[in-house]
Amino acid sequence: MDDTTIHAPKIKINNLSFYYGNYQALKPMAFEILENQVTAFIGPSGCGKSTLLRTFNRMYELYPNQQARGEILLDGQNILDPRQDVNMLRAKVGMVFQKPTPFPMSVFDNIAFGIKLYESLSRRELEERVEWALRKAALWEEVKDKLNQSGTSLSGGQQQRLCIARAIAVKPEVLLLDEPASALDPISTAHIEELIHELKEDYTIAIVTHNMQQAARVSEYTAYMYLGELIEFGPTDQIFVKPKRKETEDYITGRFG
Amino acid sequence: MNEHTLRQFDADMEAIRTMVLNMGGLVEQQLLRAINSLKSGIDDAEHDLLADEQRINSMEMEIDQLCSQIISRRQPAAIDLRMIMTFLKTANDLERIGDEAKKVTTKGQEVHNSKRVTVAHLHELTWVSQTTRQMVQKALDALARLDVKAAAEVLAEDERVDAEFVSIVRQMASYMMEDPRTISVCIEIVLIAKAIERIGDHAKNICEYVVHAVKGKDVRHASLAEIQQEIGQ
Amino acid sequence: MIPIYRRRRLINAFNLFVSMLAVAFGLFWLGWILWTLFSNGLQAIDWTIFTQSTPPPGSNGGLANAIGGSLLMTTIAVIIGTPVGILAGTYLAEYGRGGWLAPATRFINDILLSAPSIVIGLFVYAVYVANVKHFSGWAGACALALIVIPVVLKTTENMLRLIPNSLREAAAALGAPRWKIITMVTLRASRAGILTGILLAVARIAGETAPLLFTALNNQFGSANLNQPIANLPVVIFQFAMSPYNDWQRLAWGGALLITVAVLAFNIIGRTLFREKIPLQ
Repeated sequence: MDDTTIHAPKIKINNLSFYYGNYQALKPMAFEILENQVTAFIGPSGCGKSTLLRTFNRMYELYPNQQARGEILLDGQNILDPRQDVNMLRAKVGMVFQKPTPFPMSVFDNIAFGIKLYESLSRRELEERVEWALRKAALWEEVKDKLNQSGTSLSGGQQQRLCIARAIAVKPEVLLLDEPASALDPISTAHIEELIHELKEDYTIAIVTHNMQQAARVSEYTAYMYLGELIEFGPTDQIFVKPKRKETEDYITGRFG
Repeated sequence: MNEHTLRQFDADMEAIRTMVLNMGGLVEQQLLRAINSLKSGIDDAEHDLLADEQRINSMEMEIDQLCSQIISRRQPAAIDLRMIMTFLKTANDLERIGDEAKKVTTKGQEVHNSKRVTVAHLHELTWVSQTTRQMVQKALDALARLDVKAAAEVLAEDERVDAEFVSIVRQMASYMMEDPRTISVCIEIVLIAKAIERIGDHAKNICEYVVHAVKGKDVRHASLAEIQQEIGQ
Repeated sequence: MIPIYRRRRLINAFNLFVSMLAVAFGLFWLGWILWTLFSNGLQAIDWTIFTQSTPPPGSNGGLANAIGGSLLMTTIAVIIGTPVGILAGTYLAEYGRGGWLAPATRFINDILLSAPSIVIGLFVYAVYVANVKHFSGWAGACALALIVIPVVLKTTENMLRLIPNSLREAAAALGAPRWKIITMVTLRASRAGILTGILLAVARIAGETAPLLFTALNNQFGSANLNQPIANLPVVIFQFAMSPYNDWQRLAWGGALLITVAVLAFNIIGRTLFREKIPLQ
């Protein structure tokens, strides 16, 4: 069960800070996200974990007056550099959101949408890729006869898995999960956690969650954040058994003050 | 350490802690009985011995159950998790101490009744039994106050107790060679010494748990020098 | 029952009664209008109304040319006005977050939306008809288009605004460029609402008389030449209803009934469409 291979850093964060207008939402921080490992970000509401996650694919650029400073090196290249094409970046760094957001199209088209953006595949290759993505997301068996039905006709847990399938269909290198299971019931949540466990063999995963036990269950590394600051970053086992900072221990043991 | 936001959690932990310390108190009484029985051979409260043993055993089971409940309900992490593990294991060690103390008490009486014993034989045992009793007291104290320095002192003392046990065995061996009629008594004395040495080991275990709870480092199979370094840090 | 409770029930009953009275009042007039319309207009409806053109007074005829002219101008107005409205509405919803252009556009659009249609007609007259010195179907279509645009723009913008940002972000997260997100996801998600907007715009212009008075005027004969005055239902009704001739008046009632039924149909279709396809939960 213990993974003893050495994992290279996939994303290196150097002196990263973030501003909403003049308000500093993230204080300068530095850490690494290792390849094929799951890194979890925990902390109370408003601590900046979602803000941090959204810097990894420059999602904040959809809105005015939001700015990231510092460096985020993905495989050595700074993705915050204005010369970096943001759409290409997002094809490499996929994201799944808290609320399932199927597009208003059939299940098949939902998955094909992302693929068709950057690859031109034959019809058969497309169908194979769609099936592959749905299998990976543990959704194939449930929707294989309903590929032409609207994506919105699925249940909540299925919709979220559809969104995951859609994200992995484009074969990104990194997957960002922003509280992917918080809107789901325990069974769907368990399916998604199992899925994360399988996905990490092929992808680097960063997950934001407000459920500490979920972070403990799925991740190899955990970062505890508070009020925009990275308080502690380390192996999950260490953070949950013997954290170095008192603030971390207080949060993890439920001593919220 | 400040309180949990969920007050009931604090109450639950405190209940277990209190029960462990109470169990420790009962065990200390068993040890007192053991020492008296070694000195004078009279156990002036024979039925109390059995009653207390029953209470100790049921307390161990209850502590087990309370700890299971906390684990399932609260998913304790970090310090809470280490404390629960400490309580669980300490209860187990305390129950064993109780068993060994009972052994010492009953065998002590037998030895006195055999009338072949001399003051010299038992003198060795007295020192070692007093020392281990103090060790148990100190260990429980260290647990109550989460005091790693006190815990380290107990760990050092256990080394002396172990050495003392070896010398007792040698002594008994020489007695047996001198006078073969004393063989059965000497064997009993060796067994009593072994039980006492075990009690010392259990006290040492409890102190190792305390170090783990406070420092987060598992020192169960480390050498004394390593442990002292760890605590000095 | 304690006194407070009884008082509340009394107030509740009173308010309910007054509300129902108001409903009955409104329904009464509506019912009367529809009744008058149907009883007077039904007798004028037969096949000839769709096959024969408007007659001179005293002879038999129908409203074919007027119906045809109305259909033609409405269609052209929709063809001109819908793309403009949708594109402008999309701009306002997707790009118009900052700057001065978007608020200004919205403001002007709101004015246009509530402008009296006669003013629109006069505008087209002054700018176009007076310069070319003749009335025409094109002018009529333009005036109608100017009424379609604000309706479609507003509906499009509102429908697009209803789409939650999470959907746009989900498309962006896959690496889709802005225009693809808009066309393939956002517009698609709001298509039911936008269609409703178009239908409501059509319903609106189907019955507009004032703008056509100054632009398309009227024509006794049927023709598809938009460069001349063209027959249309509203103006025909206006003209025939004011006349002293019985058969003309009868035709006017028929035309009024036709328009009412058409507008009713568009409204009902629009609303059922919208109710069935709710954009997103």
